[in-house]
Amino acid sequence: MKTEKPIAIIGAGLAGLTAANYLNRRNVPFVLYEAGKKIAGLASSFKDAEGFSYDFGAHFITNRLAAAIGVSADCRIVKHYGEKVWLGGKTYSYPFGLVKIPRMALGGIKSKFASNGQAPRSAAEWFRKSYGRALADEVALPLIEAWSGARAEDLSAAVGESLPGSIGKTLYLKAASRATGRAVACGYSREMPESAGVYHVYPNGGVATLCEKLAEGLEDKIKLESPVSEILVENEKVVGIKALGETHEVSAVISTAPANILVKLVRGTDALDAFGGFRYRPMVFINLKFDGRALLSDTVMWFPEKRFPFFRLTEATISMPWLAPPGKTIITADIGCEKGDEIWEMEEAELASMCLKSITKIIPDAPARYLGYNVLRTPIAYPVFLNKYEDARRAFENTTNIKNLLSIGRNGEFAHIFMEDVYWRTLNKLRELVEIST
Amino acid sequence: MQEHKPLKLTHVACCVCETDDAMPVGVGEDFEYRTSADTFLAMQCNSCGLVYLNPRPAVSEFERIYPENYHAFDFSEADFGFVHKVRSRLEAKRLLTLCQDLPDDARILDVGCGDGFHLNLLRKYGKKSWTLEGVDVDKRAAEMAERSGLTVHVGSIEALDLAESSYDLAIMFQTIEHVEKPEKVLSAVMKVLKPGGKLVVVTDNTDSLDFKFFKGSYWGGYHFPRHWNLFNSASLSSLAKKCGFRVYDMTTQVSPVNWVYSIHNGLVDQGAPSFLIDQFTLKSTLSLSAFTSLDMFLNKFGRGALLRATLQK
Repeated sequence: MKTEKPIAIIGAGLAGLTAANYLNRRNVPFVLYEAGKKIAGLASSFKDAEGFSYDFGAHFITNRLAAAIGVSADCRIVKHYGEKVWLGGKTYSYPFGLVKIPRMALGGIKSKFASNGQAPRSAAEWFRKSYGRALADEVALPLIEAWSGARAEDLSAAVGESLPGSIGKTLYLKAASRATGRAVACGYSREMPESAGVYHVYPNGGVATLCEKLAEGLEDKIKLESPVSEILVENEKVVGIKALGETHEVSAVISTAPANILVKLVRGTDALDAFGGFRYRPMVFINLKFDGRALLSDTVMWFPEKRFPFFRLTEATISMPWLAPPGKTIITADIGCEKGDEIWEMEEAELASMCLKSITKIIPDAPARYLGYNVLRTPIAYPVFLNKYEDARRAFENTTNIKNLLSIGRNGEFAHIFMEDVYWRTLNKLRELVEIST
Repeated sequence: MQEHKPLKLTHVACCVCETDDAMPVGVGEDFEYRTSADTFLAMQCNSCGLVYLNPRPAVSEFERIYPENYHAFDFSEADFGFVHKVRSRLEAKRLLTLCQDLPDDARILDVGCGDGFHLNLLRKYGKKSWTLEGVDVDKRAAEMAERSGLTVHVGSIEALDLAESSYDLAIMFQTIEHVEKPEKVLSAVMKVLKPGGKLVVVTDNTDSLDFKFFKGSYWGGYHFPRHWNLFNSASLSSLAKKCGFRVYDMTTQVSPVNWVYSIHNGLVDQGAPSFLIDQFTLKSTLSLSAFTSLDMFLNKFGRGALLRATLQK
């Protein structure tokens, strides 16, 4: 690229650092602005004094992503990953175990024949059509509503369309997983093909290892504690940014900020206004520490019934034993909420005791095993695909409406994508940008 | 012998298109020699179809990724018995076909000659008046070739100062996939060939059925992490043309090796018992013959396991 002006990257998480690494390899000048004190963003993890590790939500790293970034030798293989659904006091493997319930199987078959040929207009219609009424109404839709905080009728059909592929492929990958003793990625890489040779791994140094590797040698170009407050647009082109009160000329901006925040940063155009209403679901993660291991029947358990305050429990140590000291475990309860509501405001101790009480219905001796808690809150856990802005969301998948402004990463793309997807999608978008501006 | 220290890796672009616009096709490990704990990624260029290792070990890691017991360094009759005999016969026949039009005073250069296997065959079965020379970057291999009385230039051909326009024929058998800069090597060969002289390149074929079956991880042709660029007829033609060659002929050649090693790698990775794994190595006559038959059949349809390009200056 001929221009002397650098590209500004906003945010030093996985996406921002992937972009930085790409530009650096091509000798394209750039500056990466990070508001926080350190790199890694959503990909940071931390360890408490007792030896328990916490990630910000579950991260799905594949051996392919680790190889692409060059950290594979520092990773451990995840041996198993599975999901179950708790329904009427019983556990069912997800998704095929549920079909053993006659009304669920029947509903599924009925829905196949009852197709009226119309494209589903909402998530509710999509799930009823694809899974049958019983499975949709008793399992899928309550989960989606708890997770998104919106009525399934108000959510776009795209929520369903983004779920993993065919039954045949799923069965094959699950069988491969059992045969190889590795957690073969199934539904956790959308961008690139899944196969028996692509499985989950976890870096010895935590998820942030990926970011640290990408940031190697870029120290001079990463500005920490430097939030970007404005993105300056003239004639529908980004011309500069403002950070720490100073204005800098730039040739392009690559933002990893949540889409609705990006809209607020942009000055001098209304081209992004349609994206300002995008909503993210805040989430509270309550980590409960216990004596024992494998207290749940699988790594992830879904709870569609409203009598549970959480919609999901994760016992990460079933997949990744090293996340807790030997003989101990952590169970994470996920509760969707809105900023300022009862859950968001609730005291940590109260959240923990509420979850412990409910967990006792599943693990009767939980109180005796209980060791303590830790609570994480995030205002932007998941993008919510509301029907009312579905057209804008689809448009945003392709462009920010400003040619030299990219929005990348999980929050930046406003999409349900996983770590490996973030990596490949970022590279593709960067390639386009660099080619256009060359 | 597994070393746990990670390799130093570098990122590269497609050597044909000089871009890095590619899709991952395969991910795997050094299933054969276990020289490191790394997992490697084979990428396929979206424009030309070249399959390349990215990131790949830095050149400074050569000693480590080519261990002492690496097979190209000692494909001896004593160790490989019957297989050695059959392969020698077959290769000799192929070589003589390539050389049939060469004059009595022809000069032949084997680029990446290894232990001198092909040069020795030419010495044994070819015209005594031919001048035979080899080039190899690896001292250990070159020493072995020299021990059998061959002339070997140690170093990479682009760095060696060989006389320009002096060779009638150059051969590069299973070499181009190993080199750091294939375009530099081809250009260097171009320089030392006489006008009208030919270069015959043989390399793993990514338009083969074995690639299609095993590309996700176990394909023998990946030879993780030692094969850095893997071609099909389109990408090899593009590269040859870029270096100024005329593509005289492009065909495929029978080889059971990638079939056998793909299965070998799968078995190793699945923790199969060693007696079973041993049925799929360069020493296992049965599987080699079975897959030779299969590949002979596929070769009839232009889908043989190896690609053979005859390029002319």
